Amino acid sequence: MTHSIIIPDLGATGGDVKIVEWLVREGQHVDAGDTLFVVETDKATEEIPAFRAGYLRRVLAHADEERLPGDVVGLMTDTSDEAIVDPTAASVEPVAAVAATTSVSRVVRRLTASPRARHLARQHNLDLANVKAASASAIQVRDVVAALEGQPVAADWLIAAFRRMVLIRRYEEHLYQLFLQGLVPGTLHQCQGQEAVAVGVCSSLRRDDMIFSTHRPVGHLLAKGASLNAITAEIWGKATGCVGGKGGQMHLADFSVGAMVSNAIVGANIPIATGCAMAFKLQGLDRVAVSFFGDGACNIGAFHEGLNLAAVQDAPVVFVCENNLYAASTHISVTTRISNLADRAAAYGMRGYTADGMDVEAVSALAAAAIERARLGKGPTLLEYRTYRYRGHSRGDPCGYRADEEQRSWLARDPIERVRIRLNQDFGVTEENLGTIEQECQREIEAAVEFALASPEPTAESCLEHVFA
Amino acid sequence: MGMAEALRDAMRIAMRKDPTVLLLGEDIGVSGGFGGGFTVTLGLSDEFGHDRVIDTPISESAIVGAAVGAAMAGSRPVAEMQYGDFVFCAMDQVVNQAAKMHYMSNGQVRVPLVLRLPVGASQRGAQHGQCTEAMFTHTPGLKVVCPATPYDAKGLLLASIRDDNPVVFFEHKLLYGGKGTRKESASVSLGADVPVEDYEIPLGTVAVVREGGDITVVANMLMVHRALSAAEILAAEGIEAEIIDIRCLVPLDIATIEQSVQKTSRLLIVEEDHLTGGWGAEIAALIAERALNYLDAPIRRVAAPDTPLPCAAALERAFVPSVERIVSTAMQMTR
Ligand SMILES: Cc1ncc(C[n+]2csc(CCOP(=O)(O)OP(=O)(O)O)c2C)c(N)n1
Ligand SMILES: [Mg+2]
Repeated sequence: MTHSIIIPDLGATGGDVKIVEWLVREGQHVDAGDTLFVVETDKATEEIPAFRAGYLRRVLAHADEERLPGDVVGLMTDTSDEAIVDPTAASVEPVAAVAATTSVSRVVRRLTASPRARHLARQHNLDLANVKAASASAIQVRDVVAALEGQPVAADWLIAAFRRMVLIRRYEEHLYQLFLQGLVPGTLHQCQGQEAVAVGVCSSLRRDDMIFSTHRPVGHLLAKGASLNAITAEIWGKATGCVGGKGGQMHLADFSVGAMVSNAIVGANIPIATGCAMAFKLQGLDRVAVSFFGDGACNIGAFHEGLNLAAVQDAPVVFVCENNLYAASTHISVTTRISNLADRAAAYGMRGYTADGMDVEAVSALAAAAIERARLGKGPTLLEYRTYRYRGHSRGDPCGYRADEEQRSWLARDPIERVRIRLNQDFGVTEENLGTIEQECQREIEAAVEFALASPEPTAESCLEHVFA
Repeated sequence: MGMAEALRDAMRIAMRKDPTVLLLGEDIGVSGGFGGGFTVTLGLSDEFGHDRVIDTPISESAIVGAAVGAAMAGSRPVAEMQYGDFVFCAMDQVVNQAAKMHYMSNGQVRVPLVLRLPVGASQRGAQHGQCTEAMFTHTPGLKVVCPATPYDAKGLLLASIRDDNPVVFFEHKLLYGGKGTRKESASVSLGADVPVEDYEIPLGTVAVVREGGDITVVANMLMVHRALSAAEILAAEGIEAEIIDIRCLVPLDIATIEQSVQKTSRLLIVEEDHLTGGWGAEIAALIAERALNYLDAPIRRVAAPDTPLPCAAALERAFVPSVERIVSTAMQMTR
């Protein structure tokens, strides 16, 4: 399928947008979130990322040419050799944001690094000659990050992501097995299947960035580096729990890593994360706030009020919508008429992107760009990740409202298996090494449950503590 | 019939007889779904279709607001909050709109809606189990109902749906009954017989559920059952408690409570709501105003402390009034 690349509405005061350079060559593969090209408006220099993975086939507007928002400036296809279909045909879906002559022979003027990558490298006195681009031909932020850590590009990042995702999956499955045996108190909302979103987003955050999670918090918390022991003890209602037993499974936190108490009122954390980001900005801090929420939350007033406020305040916040197609038992088609929730961003003059939430690399690339934008004072972004929760909405939900076929098709796209195959095939990481990681995670999980079970109950008096500061 | 089924039966009867009755809420009608938060509406969409059993987005404010508008247009909507705690997302529609429309129109418009709120602590923490009756008893224009048995639940819900005012209808999660995995742990088993036919219990009535001459205990919902258990223990100590189930808080049948206090000379109020500013405080004030001279002991309240609801079992036990606390307070009062 052919997808046109369009100049997005960049919120400039109108008028022409100048193409500064393309970072990808015709014929080259890009991942969702990779910068395609750089533009200059009357306001700023902006990088325009790809919305989806595919191959850049035609550059229709070259460096130094000027175009208007909405103009088609390039064409992408899903596969490298398929025929290109006329972009004016109705079936062509816009891909990214940018113009339209038919000249196809010129190549990209120069291939270096994205401005953000350059900025980051400069900040750290890193010579770009020492940085290798992992996928796109130009150096991206994550390549600089990897180089800064002195690690081979991508492999170690991907191994770390694999480890986090495995920890989350195995933890959730372990709890589920214990729940089936009647050993888990209280409620349980689990995130198996959604690990790539949590890990892809949080791996681009700093420790002092703050995340605001939901009733389904385990993935977000563990991805941000929260204490497994303290979370587990909280689920078991113990004094050693992360909030002393007051919270339970829906209210997990680890303030030492910037994980605020997760919120069980759908959508409530959206304005809260916005306010947190506004305070960061007012205090002159370059910290970023992230609000996680589901597709269902996009229909509550707090979502709309929060996004609009964040937009007008240029708050350094990233809104991460995990679209798993269901709010409890209700399919998104019952409650929502649009197909991309990210489109709602446009109503608030904010950027919104939809991407594959089962691909941790795609998640991270897009999130890193949004987080970096926020950090540089360029305002909020709405990211919608398509994902799926493998288990029920909450404990004991047999999912009678979902078709088996649908579940199977999502299971076939498992985010962890995907990384396993990639590590094995593209980076030569052995099954044995991956197995060791899994065993290490499993041991950590079992130790955490033992810790929780052995921990004391909170005292009755502690019920009365902390009403007022 | 458990309470969930009794409530479902009431809605089914009301919907069969009156085509203007409709239901709104999250996950209430999805095929293969939950039947709302606690199975109460299970199967109703099969009989009445998705036009009358409306699965809404997660939009509490719109749920209540739409119910207000539909009621003003002649429908009788029954709106469900999945958990009572979420009504705070819709408070403007409840307090500024539903409660006041009749008054603000100088009686020219009616808002006959029912707002169903599942409440009660069940180990889900501070945002999924608050008892909030007092917030609504304090708002003029709202009727407030809070049944303790399946029989009362059915008759009161039928009367509420047919009432021409907005009725806030509390349902305690541990009283729903229900089966299998969707049943709340620590549920109370209620074996009451519920007739299949249509019947109403008038709003504004209380029920004397146990007679006794030594102390009057007023309670609602789960606390009625704890008070009844406490009464057994007290009886063994030679103290006969009269238990009044205050199944409707607005309008309030204070006369029956007053008569009981004239007989027993002692009043103990048990509520799962917070102590300060609770409905119990209002009853204490009314009895002090009307029957102070009959009292042989200060009026006492056993209520939840003025803290948010904690989650851990050990903390929840300390929070929710227990049989032991009711017994020991009653003993102190009758000593
Ligand atoms: C304001 C509010 N309304 C309803 C609920 C009950 N509830 C909890 S989770 C949920 C579904 C949320 O769906 P979504 O936002 O898509 O998140 P997901 O559960 O899929 O992760 C509902 C209806 C709630 N917690 N808060
Ligand atoms: Mg969802």
